[in-house]
Amino acid sequence: MELLSNLALGFGTALSITNLFYALMGCLIGTLIGVLPGIGPVATLAMLLPTTYSLDPTSALIMLAGIYYGAQYGGSTTSILVNIPGESSSVVTCIDGYQMARRGRAGAALGIAAIGSFVAGCFSTVLVAAFAPPLTELAFKFGPAEYFSLMVLGLIGAVVLASGSLIKAIGMIILGLLLGIVGTDVNSGVARFSFDVPELTDGLGFVGVAMGVFGFAEIIANLEKKEHREVFTSKIGSLLPNRKEFFYSLPAIARGTLLGSILGILPGGGALLASFASYTFEKKVSEKGADIPFGQGNIRGVASPESANNAGAQTSFIPMLTLGIPPNAVMALMIGAMTIHNIQPGPQVMTSNPSLFWGLIASMWIGNLMLVILNLPLVGLWVQLLKLPYRLLYPAILVFCAIGVYAVNNTTFDVMLTAVFGGIGYLFHKLKCEPAPLILGFILGPMMEENLRRAMLLSRGDPTTFVTRPLSLGLLLAAAALLVLVMLPAIKSKREVAFQESD
Amino acid sequence: MKIRNEKDFWSGVMFIACGLFFALFAMKYDFGTAQRMGPAYFPTVLGAILVVIGVVVAAGGLTRDSADGKVERFFLTEMSWVLGSVVVYGLLLKPAGALIAIAALVAISSMGSHEFRWKEVILLAIAMAAVTWAVFIWGLGVSIPVWPALMER
Repeated sequence: MELLSNLALGFGTALSITNLFYALMGCLIGTLIGVLPGIGPVATLAMLLPTTYSLDPTSALIMLAGIYYGAQYGGSTTSILVNIPGESSSVVTCIDGYQMARRGRAGAALGIAAIGSFVAGCFSTVLVAAFAPPLTELAFKFGPAEYFSLMVLGLIGAVVLASGSLIKAIGMIILGLLLGIVGTDVNSGVARFSFDVPELTDGLGFVGVAMGVFGFAEIIANLEKKEHREVFTSKIGSLLPNRKEFFYSLPAIARGTLLGSILGILPGGGALLASFASYTFEKKVSEKGADIPFGQGNIRGVASPESANNAGAQTSFIPMLTLGIPPNAVMALMIGAMTIHNIQPGPQVMTSNPSLFWGLIASMWIGNLMLVILNLPLVGLWVQLLKLPYRLLYPAILVFCAIGVYAVNNTTFDVMLTAVFGGIGYLFHKLKCEPAPLILGFILGPMMEENLRRAMLLSRGDPTTFVTRPLSLGLLLAAAALLVLVMLPAIKSKREVAFQESD
Repeated sequence: MKIRNEKDFWSGVMFIACGLFFALFAMKYDFGTAQRMGPAYFPTVLGAILVVIGVVVAAGGLTRDSADGKVERFFLTEMSWVLGSVVVYGLLLKPAGALIAIAALVAISSMGSHEFRWKEVILLAIAMAAVTWAVFIWGLGVSIPVWPALMER
């Protein structure tokens, strides 16, 4: 049983006192920041990434994974209690979760979200452990042409899931790719688009760009609104759902977990797609027998998307860990973190760094367990945090960002860059251009160029190499099919409806 | 000609401008051939694609109506306080040290809120400087100048 011995190695790594401590810290801090209204997992990760620099790579990744789960769980808490989704993946939780809170069942909603997430976490951890090795085998068969095609597929997948206009999302990806190649070209040594600024020859700082377009832009956008938040703090009630609610939710958790796990592996997939799809699915399946209609506080409307987004969040580690290609913005950040720690993401990680690889997988499960046993009792604390007025919260958020972005390279240039990208992000916000595809492109830019160059060099300048190699052709066909699929009128209108339901 | 969807129209203009910028500046570098791509190859091609996308998006903004196509007002004051505070922090960090820079960041960024209170802001600034020292400098060992450069000597 290779799987068992691998998992044993993983748990051996993850259960060391230091790593347990960092997993715990990650979950705690992640929830702490993620619970703040309007701050989702991506912004939380970008903000807290630098705090992990001084750790060794394994602990750092374990802590980051903890931050991710924590942030996601924190986001659900905010969705249920304040009706403000931290990020798009918890948008659907707002619909029924907030209604449950208004009916006085806030506790049950929080409880079932935690239980669902935990069940999903257990299942998808095993899935990751089982699927990672064979996929890694496959990845070794990949040449530069396949990698290039795979990235095209990943980027198209990300576009399809962007909630706004398709073509604008493609534009954002290309803009991201272009921003990503600023800096010294590895092949020729030419410093591209650096304008003789020495700091720019190393390229634009990834943390600065992400923090600017996600974090700062969000803060400015939040300052536009005058505060009128209704927080359900007094009547959370028992965190345990009653028997009826519990048994009613079980099938929804199972369905959400399964659907989420599958959708998480797809390029462009992850928590967002998983939660949307599972909510829609659940609504179809159980609308008839429901005593409370969906949209008015049906517990299945919380249980299913919460399980699905956690399952999807975890299985989206599979393409990241085995292929080194991020399926979504969160994984793009994880790749950024790995590169900072001098780990080249890709199939070789599993063989060259087995304790990191399996330790991370084991810590997924541990992180989920921690979320249940820690966050449920701590819910009161998070609620207190939600009571803090925004005028006190956002300067504190800025402080974390400011220290973090300086710590990346110990240069104030990055601080200024973040301010610039904050302004750009605010412009994107006004023009309704989504920043997530931009970040994905930003990470993939250099990788894509490199693989394109190598593939073309190997084929002696013949571009048909991408369609004559079967694996590469398959990936490109999948990308084309995906694109055609969303452009079909029937699906297009459905897609718009699905995203509008959330607004 | 009337702009029907301002958001799309200006997004398109932004894409065109960015695409032109990258494609034109790439002309300084060697283009190379398809087999041996120079540093200009990738940015030129992408820049050109971005221009095309920009034209399509902008054209859509001119022809298609949309319920929420209007670009809403930019809150420039709030933006200036928030981003300005970060710039001031960046300028102060090396000469004045993290504690002073953080206090300034908190004080200036707080001006962006519509309910600004002096007492609260002073307390928050001191508290955040203390947290910074305890968590980041003492706890996580982030290397950042703490005290003013004059005192370090």
